[in-house]
Amino acid sequence: MRKIVTLAVAVTAAASLMTGVTASAADGAALYKAKTCWSCHGKDAKTPLMPFYPSLAGQNADYMYNQMVDIKSGARSNGQTAAMKGVMGLVNEEEMRALADWLATLN
Amino acid sequence: MSVKPVIIGLTAAVAIGLSFGVSAADTSSWNKGAHSGETDEAMHLEPDLENGMDVYEVCSACHMPEGWGFTDGTFPQLAGQHRPVLIKQLADIRALNRDNPTMYPFALPESIGDAQALADVTAYIEKLPMNPENGKGEWAEGTPEFEQGKKLYADNCVRCHGEHGEGDVEKFYPRIEGQHYNYMLRQFEWIRDGKRRNANPDMVEQIKNFTDKDMKMVINYISRVPVNPKDLAPSADWKNPDFD
Repeated sequence: MRKIVTLAVAVTAAASLMTGVTASAADGAALYKAKTCWSCHGKDAKTPLMPFYPSLAGQNADYMYNQMVDIKSGARSNGQTAAMKGVMGLVNEEEMRALADWLATLN
Repeated sequence: MSVKPVIIGLTAAVAIGLSFGVSAADTSSWNKGAHSGETDEAMHLEPDLENGMDVYEVCSACHMPEGWGFTDGTFPQLAGQHRPVLIKQLADIRALNRDNPTMYPFALPESIGDAQALADVTAYIEKLPMNPENGKGEWAEGTPEFEQGKKLYADNCVRCHGEHGEGDVEKFYPRIEGQHYNYMLRQFEWIRDGKRRNANPDMVEQIKNFTDKDMKMVINYISRVPVNPKDLAPSADWKNPDFD
């Protein structure tokens, strides 16, 4: 019985995880183009415009989300952030979350 | 990786940093940029529209296939802009006479090509129909702020930018009618405050006493001046068929 419950929980968790991924994946992919991220980071998110711009495919979701929040707020303003700051008005935190989650799923 | 790309990469990295850090109001480059160097070279080349369309694909990722930018002003509308203005700004950005860290790497010859590419892509952009619903300021016609903006425009701007913001092709003065309010506001502020280094010194002088409210009122006015329908796309839903 305990095994069955564990299995049921696992299946439910996996199902909800998959649904979550699917929903945000669709949003994230659309946002990645619509918000012009792909212009600099590459259509596949791993062929950046400049060799010193980061590859995003498969990067840690929370790390990317935090960078986006900090670049938008100005808390992070070093390095190449000057190139990205100008476009951050195009995304809110919910959209940053969807972008980060989707980018993390890429290979 | 060979040595050359590394050097280009490092140079560009430094330039992107510089293009953000330098803020001295050195306006002496206006004439130099307008009448010599790459601007002059590109102005005298015969444009190839077909190649212009190919070059524009890079630009379209941010400025959109229609050349309308974003109505929130993140990216300006390029469609319908005078070719000499587009050539000068592109040449200035890649010569680091105008700070634009976001656009800088796209403007490099490695990304879009040489002076011929500038000649070609600007000929393509100039012919694109404009967004019939550009981003506008908050004050409708008839409000005191609109009327005050209209007066400020007549007193300070009309001599160079024209009766309805049409600019001046010969003098590299941009067309500002139909441009997005927030974009113009940002550029106006940077010109007033010395942050836009390729600003025309006559304009810097003309607007130096504008308050932030004056600035908003005059930009609100020009953002609401109707553009000749012959220069507009049939609707805001129009899509550029060249990039289906």
